[in-house]
Amino acid sequence: MPAAQAAASAILVVENIVMRFATAEGGLTAIDNVSFNVAPAEFLAVIGPSGCGKSTLFNIIGGLLGGYQGQVAVGGETVSGPHASIGMVFQEESTFPWRNVVDNIAFPLEIAGVPRRERIDRARRFVSMVGLDGFEQRYPSELSGGMRQRVSMARTLASEPKILLMDEPFASLDEQTRLLLGDKVLQIQQQLKQTTLLITHNITEAVQLADRILVMTYRPGQVKRIVDINLPRPRTSEVVSSEAFGRYVAQIWSDLREEASRGMIDDERRALHAGEHKA
Amino acid sequence: MAEIGRLVRAPQARPWLTSVTLLRTVIVLAALVGWQILAVSGLLYRDVVPPLPKVAAALVKLLSSVDFYWNLWFTIDEIAIGLVLGGLAGLVTGLVIGSNKFIAKAFEPYLYYIGPTPKIIFFPVMIMWFGAGAGSKIAMGAVSCFFPIALNVAAGMRQIDQVLIKVGESFRANPWQMATKIYLPAMRRPVINGLRLGLGVALIGTLLAETKISNRGLGFVVIDAYNTFNMPRLYAILIVLFVLAIGANALITRLGGLDEIKQK
Amino acid sequence: MSAAAVTARRWAPPLVGFGSLLLFLTAVEILIRVGAINRYIVPLPSEVAASFTRVILEEDILHRFLITAWECLAASLLLTVFGIGIGVAFHQVRLLRLACETWVAAMASAPLVLAYPLFLVLFGRSALTIIMMSFLVGLPPVILKTIEGLSATRRVLINVGRSFKLTSAQQFWKILLPSALPTIFVGIRLGLMFALINVVAVEFLINFGGLGQLINDLAERYDLPGVYAAICFVMLISVVFFVITERAERWLKSAG
Repeated sequence: MPAAQAAASAILVVENIVMRFATAEGGLTAIDNVSFNVAPAEFLAVIGPSGCGKSTLFNIIGGLLGGYQGQVAVGGETVSGPHASIGMVFQEESTFPWRNVVDNIAFPLEIAGVPRRERIDRARRFVSMVGLDGFEQRYPSELSGGMRQRVSMARTLASEPKILLMDEPFASLDEQTRLLLGDKVLQIQQQLKQTTLLITHNITEAVQLADRILVMTYRPGQVKRIVDINLPRPRTSEVVSSEAFGRYVAQIWSDLREEASRGMIDDERRALHAGEHKA
Repeated sequence: MAEIGRLVRAPQARPWLTSVTLLRTVIVLAALVGWQILAVSGLLYRDVVPPLPKVAAALVKLLSSVDFYWNLWFTIDEIAIGLVLGGLAGLVTGLVIGSNKFIAKAFEPYLYYIGPTPKIIFFPVMIMWFGAGAGSKIAMGAVSCFFPIALNVAAGMRQIDQVLIKVGESFRANPWQMATKIYLPAMRRPVINGLRLGLGVALIGTLLAETKISNRGLGFVVIDAYNTFNMPRLYAILIVLFVLAIGANALITRLGGLDEIKQK
Repeated sequence: MSAAAVTARRWAPPLVGFGSLLLFLTAVEILIRVGAINRYIVPLPSEVAASFTRVILEEDILHRFLITAWECLAASLLLTVFGIGIGVAFHQVRLLRLACETWVAAMASAPLVLAYPLFLVLFGRSALTIIMMSFLVGLPPVILKTIEGLSATRRVLINVGRSFKLTSAQQFWKILLPSALPTIFVGIRLGLMFALINVVAVEFLINFGGLGQLINDLAERYDLPGVYAAICFVMLISVVFFVITERAERWLKSAG
């Protein structure tokens, strides 16, 4: 798709993002000139090795991090802080332990001033959507990790964002729970036609869920390649056993492997350096 | 309590509990019997350890006198005002210190190290500033509870899970919403604990001050019984004080403990 | 970051804190001198500072300090020995623990010091009253922490002992106790703090003993600057004591 045409119909436009941090050892360029677009109802996965600046990108797009060069625009509007059209799902455990499930999910509606009766009704819709019917009155401490992440996701969906931004939401879950939750996410995304941007380090997850995958390099993070995933829709987790799936995974891994190796070598060098300092 | 499952003996949940109650009853009875024997033995000077019936009688007399409730009310009043004053000051101070690393490093050590000093030694100063009446007692209570509350609120702010703040920001909550819907609920355990400790020391501070200089309040009742060598009454008022103090502590713990279910 | 910047970062907060204190005291000094604050209620900070030397020399401070110190020491010894002893007993005899642990916890929240008139009757206006009260006040934390430390011994360490067929006694001395030591020391430190606070408080209340009695004495003599100076002195001592026990605990944690 020609760049201009893509930009015109895109709902999220990320342009020439450069992010530098000042550190004890001097400066660090986390992200170097990253640009991409996301079309409405599209599922874009951003994958990269640890240290490629994925989480930094997540915080930038979500409006929680400033001080960068470049621009992020949602539906034509420039993002300069948390935006009503962007919903964020964090990697860490983020349910409010003092609220039950339905009150957690109703939180964004509460902030927006929706009256109690209405917001509970609307929240219940999303409770069902993530498959937590019957757990409305339970507290997060009574739920499993996977269920808590579903609550976090439902909470963000309840704010009905134009763009759903997720930072490795399944990182702390085991493989099987991941695959099943992936099914759920696909189902919801297809039902709501939700534009989604997923940050992940898990190749299988990316290929299972995405329409396109953006592979990032190791620090300074740049766009290495964008891969179109032409697996049929609607999709379920059964797609992981297909040949096409395997080929995509292999393709992505061959790109990623190089970057991941660079990351490992860098880690080792730094650990060695720190050890020498101590001695 | 979870250790019950790990016992080597065969698990007998029900009889186990009864053994505990049995032992407790035995201990209490043994203590009472020992007391009574000591009381009537004549080993100690008369009434230093009064016979149980005398103590019981004094207890009844105390609790059925209007004076007692008047003094009780007076003391509760002093403690409450002291707690509110010291508590508010502590809350604000704790919030300021907890929210800013620089301020914390500059001023928190003072709170931390002055905290565990006996506040009663400030009492002469309080008398000079606020007179010998209720003012100095309230001041003692306020000064006593300021420190644990401020320190606990500051600590509470620091232990808030950062991601929860991010969630609030991502949903663009305004400062008031952030404070009431995120900061305060996330801090409730340390705050309640601070309140519990604060109540404990405010109680002690106020009552000790009353024993030193006062003609009203429960502290006065204590020192009055001492001065008139009315030992049964002294034991009676101390028993009442201890029950009230432990009860208040348990009440606040329960309020904080209810949250035990909600938060792991 | 440059070395100078790092040093500045490290020392700026304490300097600001201390500086604010000095600023505050200077403000008080000025306000009193111009008459805004009644000098018979709040003495000049400069006078208080001056009376420090006077108090130290005239009031036999060393002697008083030693009295307070020995009372603390006696109470500390008692609460350590009995606290650990009772704690171990509770741990070994499960029934005892289940029955009485909550009582000990309740005792910890009880305002024991309020019973000082009772102790006066029982033990007279003497060091014994002070020591007994402080001992009882400092006892619960030691007992509770001893129990906590012993029962929190990691399961895997106990299994190691069992795999080597250790006897109960060996298990206790070689595995449980060493593993519990850091927690026990936390309890002892708490107990010592409570004991110290109580020693000084009771000395003040019953007008007997060392430093606490000094404050009472000076207050009754209406020696205003002296009272402030003595209070500062007591605070200083409690801070020093606190810091020492903190360092000791940290050293023990890193060594053990």
